[in-house]
Amino acid sequence: MTHMLPISFSLNGQTVSMEVAAHTLLIDLVRGRLGLKGTKRSCDMEVCGACTMLLDGDPISSCTTLAVDVDQREVTTIEGVTPPDGLSRVQKAFVLHGGLQCGFCTPGFIMAVTALLKANPHPTDDEIRHYLHGNLCRCTGYVKIFEAVKSLAIEHVSEDAA
Amino acid sequence: MSNPTDSMSSVRPDLIEKVTGRAEYITDLVVPGMLHGFVVRSPVVHARIVSIDTTAARLIEGVVDVLVGADVASFGRWGVVLKDRPIIAIDRVRYVGEPVAVVIAETVEIAENAAELVDVEYEELPRATTIREALADGAPLIHERHENLEDFYFKGGARPTQNSNVFHTYRSSVGDVDAAEAIAAHVHEDSFTFPAISHFAMEPHTVIADFQGDALTIWAGAQTPTAVQKVLSRLFGLQLAKIRVVVPFVGGGFGGKASVKIEPLVAAASWKVRRPVRVAQSISDSMLTCRRLGAEITIRTAVDAKGRILAKTAKLLLDGGAYSDTGSAVATKSANRIMGPYVMPNLRLEASAVYTNTVPGAAFRSIGGPQAVWAKESHMDNVAAAIGMDPVEFRLINMAGRGERTRPDLRPLDMDMSELVGRVTQSPVFETQGSNRRARGLAVAATDPANTPIANAIVRLKIDGSVSVSVSSIEVGQGAHATMARVAAQTLQQRFSAVTTLRTDTDIAPYDWGTGASRSTVVVGLSVESAALDAADQIFDMVADVWELPKDSLTLVEGGVSTGSEVLTFHQIFHRALGVDSGEVVGRGGITPRSKKGALAESPLFWETSAGLAEIVVDEDTGQIHVPRYASAADVGRVINRVAAEGQDEGAAAMGFGHALFEELEFDDGQPVNATPIDYTIPRITDVPPVFDTILVENGDGPGPGGAKGMGEGAILPVAPAIANALFSTYGIRITDLPMTPEKVWRALQKRK
Repeated sequence: MTHMLPISFSLNGQTVSMEVAAHTLLIDLVRGRLGLKGTKRSCDMEVCGACTMLLDGDPISSCTTLAVDVDQREVTTIEGVTPPDGLSRVQKAFVLHGGLQCGFCTPGFIMAVTALLKANPHPTDDEIRHYLHGNLCRCTGYVKIFEAVKSLAIEHVSEDAA
Repeated sequence: MSNPTDSMSSVRPDLIEKVTGRAEYITDLVVPGMLHGFVVRSPVVHARIVSIDTTAARLIEGVVDVLVGADVASFGRWGVVLKDRPIIAIDRVRYVGEPVAVVIAETVEIAENAAELVDVEYEELPRATTIREALADGAPLIHERHENLEDFYFKGGARPTQNSNVFHTYRSSVGDVDAAEAIAAHVHEDSFTFPAISHFAMEPHTVIADFQGDALTIWAGAQTPTAVQKVLSRLFGLQLAKIRVVVPFVGGGFGGKASVKIEPLVAAASWKVRRPVRVAQSISDSMLTCRRLGAEITIRTAVDAKGRILAKTAKLLLDGGAYSDTGSAVATKSANRIMGPYVMPNLRLEASAVYTNTVPGAAFRSIGGPQAVWAKESHMDNVAAAIGMDPVEFRLINMAGRGERTRPDLRPLDMDMSELVGRVTQSPVFETQGSNRRARGLAVAATDPANTPIANAIVRLKIDGSVSVSVSSIEVGQGAHATMARVAAQTLQQRFSAVTTLRTDTDIAPYDWGTGASRSTVVVGLSVESAALDAADQIFDMVADVWELPKDSLTLVEGGVSTGSEVLTFHQIFHRALGVDSGEVVGRGGITPRSKKGALAESPLFWETSAGLAEIVVDEDTGQIHVPRYASAADVGRVINRVAAEGQDEGAAAMGFGHALFEELEFDDGQPVNATPIDYTIPRITDVPPVFDTILVENGDGPGPGGAKGMGEGAILPVAPAIANALFSTYGIRITDLPMTPEKVWRALQKRK
């Protein structure tokens, strides 16, 4: 018999309490039993960033995180950063700047950039590139992803100035 | 640089779905009753299968069945150009990674665990793992015979050499090369190699198949759904109308999901268990499914005393891997694409595709293009250096102008390459501080997309003014669905937001060749335009009939038809014409080689062209190449969506940086060395030039809607030779084998010293 463990965590602000097998991965729990499919599975080896979720606000690869390790913690997925109507400012910037094509890596990028701007609202060009170094995209060539993130950094600065 | 002036109402609807995570990809679909398959792959390079024992795997609770070759041997083989492929290995494996069994279970975990218990005994066979080994005297035959399928997928077919590993040879000859070389002032020859490269779409190949008696439904990330339909129809003896192929959003393709890949395998699994089966590959699995063809290329140019090209000769050998897929077409295109936009009065081209015991080769962004252009544009600078001429000047004096043919059987060039060269050399990115004029390299490309002018579209205009568009084009990120909606909206004079492009589904969408070869905007776009005009004509007929007005006085306006004196809403028109407050008109449009009085028949439909200028800095202690500035120009005829069009070229160029600097799917005596996402890497955000200029030249002179040409494949081509030419002119070293890794560059620098 698979050993089941009780866990309780916050998923996008809602408390989830359930029993999971010790080896269950966070991505499988969220995409499978919890039915939130916005998070995408790609490399399965923690190198591409497509499955990025936030754990207590920090980006993690959900493909290599055990579900039991999120016990008593806060998990945020792409569904959790999407407003009920419309888009977050990060999502809107990606759309307007064309920072995505096939979109498979996009939820991971949105999560990473959301975390970046929360930790550092005014990232420099180098800080943007360094922070997004762990998110792979095969379509865009990153030019428009960079422009999208850059636009947010600048926008925020001018808001501060005003 | 993008200027996002578009309001949210005119952005691509697919982008909204994707940024919110709501977009549905194949891995997000659940079909009721679906089982999960896990593929057991060959660990050996070339072997006879002695036995497969699935007993232990079948005993695991939750395992439903195990598919092996013996189950499906009677269905025979399949292919799209050569019929060389079994559904699953039957008595022999030809490469590491070849599927030998599919364990079908209630969950993926169970299937994966049980797969370890499938016991396969192999007896190794002599192998041929490189082009050289495959062509050697006495080389083991990877396929005993070659069966060509003429006109099956592409017009024409393969020209295999029986009793050899050569599955296709293409030759083209113009004039008398020998005579030209005899009188030439200078003849220069070079040899280059190009490695296998992984497509590395972020979404690996995944297929769900549901076999129900004489009907089959396939959900797949397939770029060419009608090819999948056709191959499955032939293989399983099903009528085309009984096979439905549904393609949700596709997470990257780049050719790696074109033609047919794992669909027959998954269909067979479902056939065996009579339930829906899903096989979701990992990226590692997909790296063992297909890859770009490696190449060995020899190229020779003869010039007169003034530096004018008298003759060009090229011999290209392409490593097609264990199964041919579309490798024959890749070879043919590599020969055409090695010509470039130059005047060459005498020409001798030969390209062969060769089987090897490695992962099957397949189409990949600009088939045969990066291989050919790597060789030809590196060679151009070598020739220029050999005759003491500036490489840009050498290109310019040999360039074919607009309207000139580079070869008698190909459409005249429909653009000015010198304009593209001018645009990249004058790019403002090279005016920025710290830019070094001497550390730059140029390369250009002119390629002939195989954009088969066969497509259909259905445009339905409904009573409320909303419009639906049905096409077989898939949405793989390029924005095809939004482009088709835009074409319909413009033709019908309705708002973009009123138009919906339906999800790709062969039960609904009419026949189209497929999504690839830069063809959708032009070929499918023209079909949509024609379908929208047909819908408009039907509406005009209703108005003319009911209101007794001359048809030529009618024009479409938003929400209805203007008679010149008043606007009739679509509601009024349908209501009056049909007697009830409902209805729609169904417009049908199609493109064939006979359309437009045959104007679309000549190949290529348009030339896909690009120029690239790279500026480099090399760390001489490590050999690491940095590209601080890059300018990329393409002649696209007319831009339909600027942000999307720029994104296509930027993405292609970034892929080119990977090809140029580090990407290589390596094999050691046939064993894949780095076929995992940990060992094989694609460019990261830190690997693309921080200063990048994307130039799109628009003269409205393309054959597509509004004068558009196809695009998205050209910008990958100049990158590697532009960097290599910068390395040659600045550091005096010539790298001839890609990728230009730090080690190769460092060794070349040491040797130079």
